[in-house]
Amino acid sequence: MNAPAPLLVVSGLVVRYGVVTAVRGVDLAVGDGEIVSIVGPNGAGKTSLVSAVAGIVAPAEGSITFAGKGLGGVALEDVVVQGIALVPEGRHIFASLTVTENLMLGATIRRDAVAVQADIERYFAMFPILGQRRRQPAGQLSGGEQQQLAVARAMLSRPRLIMLDEPSLGLAPAMVDRVYDLLRAIREQGVTILLVEQNAERVFGLCDRVYVMSGGEFGLSGGATEVKNDPRFDAAYFGVHMRETADLR
Amino acid sequence: MERFVQTLVDAVSLGSLYALTALGIGLIFGVMRLINFAHGELITISAYALLALFGLPVPVMLFGGILTAVVLALLTERAAFRPLRSADPTTLLISSFAVSFFLQKLLILVVGSRLKGLDLLPELNRQTEFLGVRLQMLQIVTIAISAVLLVGLTWFLKATRLGLHMRAAAEDFRMARVLGVRANNVIATAFALSGVLAAAVSCLIVVQTGTVQPRMGVQLVIIAFVGTVIGGLGSLPGAALGGFLVGAASIMLQALLPPDLRAFREAFVFIAVALILLFRPQGLIPARGLKERI
Amino acid sequence: MSATAGGNAPATGKFDRLWPLVALVTAVVLFALIMSLAPAVLQRRATQGLINLTAVVGLYVFAGNSGLLSFGNVAFMAVGAYVSALLTMKTAAKSVFLPDLPAVIASAEWPTFAGALAGGFAAGLVALIVGWPLMRLSGVAASIATFAILVVAYVVFGNWTAVTGGQNSLMGLPAYVGLWTALGWAVAAIVIAFVYQETRSALLLRASREDEAAAQASGVDVVLHRLIAFVISAFLSGIAGVLLAHFLGIVRVENFYLDLTFLIVAMLIIGGRGSLTGAVTGALVIAVLTEALRQSEIGIQVGKTVIAAPPGLGDVILALIMLLIILFRPNGIAGGREIRWPFGKRQWSEAK
Repeated sequence: MNAPAPLLVVSGLVVRYGVVTAVRGVDLAVGDGEIVSIVGPNGAGKTSLVSAVAGIVAPAEGSITFAGKGLGGVALEDVVVQGIALVPEGRHIFASLTVTENLMLGATIRRDAVAVQADIERYFAMFPILGQRRRQPAGQLSGGEQQQLAVARAMLSRPRLIMLDEPSLGLAPAMVDRVYDLLRAIREQGVTILLVEQNAERVFGLCDRVYVMSGGEFGLSGGATEVKNDPRFDAAYFGVHMRETADLR
Repeated sequence: MERFVQTLVDAVSLGSLYALTALGIGLIFGVMRLINFAHGELITISAYALLALFGLPVPVMLFGGILTAVVLALLTERAAFRPLRSADPTTLLISSFAVSFFLQKLLILVVGSRLKGLDLLPELNRQTEFLGVRLQMLQIVTIAISAVLLVGLTWFLKATRLGLHMRAAAEDFRMARVLGVRANNVIATAFALSGVLAAAVSCLIVVQTGTVQPRMGVQLVIIAFVGTVIGGLGSLPGAALGGFLVGAASIMLQALLPPDLRAFREAFVFIAVALILLFRPQGLIPARGLKERI
Repeated sequence: MSATAGGNAPATGKFDRLWPLVALVTAVVLFALIMSLAPAVLQRRATQGLINLTAVVGLYVFAGNSGLLSFGNVAFMAVGAYVSALLTMKTAAKSVFLPDLPAVIASAEWPTFAGALAGGFAAGLVALIVGWPLMRLSGVAASIATFAILVVAYVVFGNWTAVTGGQNSLMGLPAYVGLWTALGWAVAAIVIAFVYQETRSALLLRASREDEAAAQASGVDVVLHRLIAFVISAFLSGIAGVLLAHFLGIVRVENFYLDLTFLIVAMLIIGGRGSLTGAVTGALVIAVLTEALRQSEIGIQVGKTVIAAPPGLGDVILALIMLLIILFRPNGIAGGREIRWPFGKRQWSEAK
């Protein structure tokens, strides 16, 4: 398979919180225009990995390169300027601000006010519910609507890479389908996607490549179909920990 | 009847003063989770600036007062609070306490601890008639200025880009930064605005009391703190309401209490505060989505 | 567990657990012994230093274990001072200063020790009543609310002229507090603080310091344990107030307000609010420092001139030191740890 030019390259990444090592040296590459997924159980280190790329936590070791530029030492506020947008776990929309205000915050780094308005209208057209509730506090939206809002907000910075941390968490399956359709549409626009999920099944149909993460390490990686059919998948997903906890029975 | 209206106006006037003070404190708490004890020193030092500029035209004096407060606020932010940005709230509280005392003692070292007279805008201390009731000009001016500042601040927060950033940062600081909101800008703006509010309060107090002394900000600010707590820490409307209620209650109690209990009115206000907190520890208008700092 | 010295191994033997207590009491006793050889003026300063030490230890019991600062402890000092004063002053003196005192109190002439205990317990009682609503507040809000305690005490004591003399000084107290009395109470305070911090309640409270939510989720009644610490803290502060009043021989409400609050808080922060060692260290270091600064304000004679620091410089320097400590060594001189046995081969004990 022809691997597209790498947009995001992570190499030897180690993330620690005090004495706990959440990410134990991982290598990851996301090609331009790809949808790459990281799947793994709770506590695998997926969020820590994404947080390191987003500049929220500083890695203890390793390097992160985006579009050829090293991201080490880039301040948190500047990561979005580089072209990386994050939809964090739990969405983190601003509940006390209106839907429109939330979207405007997505465009914080942009200077072209007219184009921003046009973009906002486009998202309202794509999601009529958001459009109807544009002046309401975002806290009144349902879970699924908030997820749409969070994705639209991230897209408003016109990123090259958008990272989503468990967007399907807490959503009904029908809603998850709609979010994944949105991701397909985003990819059509040429935006690269890094998707973190616990539920591997759903992800296989969407993404190009998969990394399986457990206990802070990647156990398995490759094309979506390959990994899906790989007999080692379960072991990789549940990782070393399964062997250790089996003795508890 | 006239007495009642006068008391009411008195209450609204003092309540507004405390509301402005509480707002200055609330603005900074919102973005930084810092209770700024030094806000009292902003008020005090701004008043001393007025004293230093006495003799110049009043608008120049006022401008000088505002400039002093804003510059001092930004200085304290840069020197003392920025290095502590990720510290826990108790450490921040202690540091602002230290900054407050440092500024106060430094002021005493420089200008001495005795109070000085400052005759600013004495014409405002006259009485005037308003809708058939005799009132003090100053009270009407206080209420008017407070209303203007309140409206102005609300407009700033709701209608401007920077205001939007501040509201977002107050709700979820880390997420705002992820979206590109600059922490330094938002915090500096909060401090600058608090400086403006402090200067306004300072002017009004100087006009009312005709004096300037190194402790003048402290007493006001302590009461305003307690006001922000009952209003709801982290919520600007809460801060304004809490400050207002504490100030207004103080005046109402003075009018309603029997003479030998009047001196204790502050104690009663605080007891009322304690009771409110007993039943509603999160405050009257709790902040929505109070999130952790980065 | 290895027997070699290594930073964070928990204490095992009784020696290691008691060492901080022994070391601190020894240090304080040594301080008093040295000062007893100094001129009378310095002895008085040392006595005041020991009184402040008692107050700082009192504040530490709450602030160090709960992680929350209380600005109200000086109010408890005031309670202790006034209660003890009222109970121990001679009736004749009371009739001069407080003619409107209720007869029961006016005729009371308690022995000083009983008066001191009464002061401490009164402070503890006030803390129990006031603390119950306050301890339910979250972290910083509780600290701000303790300010209210300070203000209410100031207002009440300052205006309740019949009982306290209001704004006037209450004079004629038996001035029985000298260097050794202060030392005795200071040592007692250290012992009480130490014994308390080894209790299960204190341990649970310290656990909640790090993560309130986790502690509550584990079923720890944070409010109860905070309240316990608050009451003990108030008792010790009350004792300190008693000592201050009977050292000066007068009680003035002005003495129990913001300046004293700042001094006590500064001592705790500079010494380190995370450990008893920090509290004691802060008190002793500041006692020495303020004496040095006071001397500098008096000045040194050089030929015909006196070179002296301007009055008030001492306060500025104290505030500056406090700020610098917060910025550069936030855990204070003691760094949040208890004093360790310095000669290897033993295991470290650490109060977290």
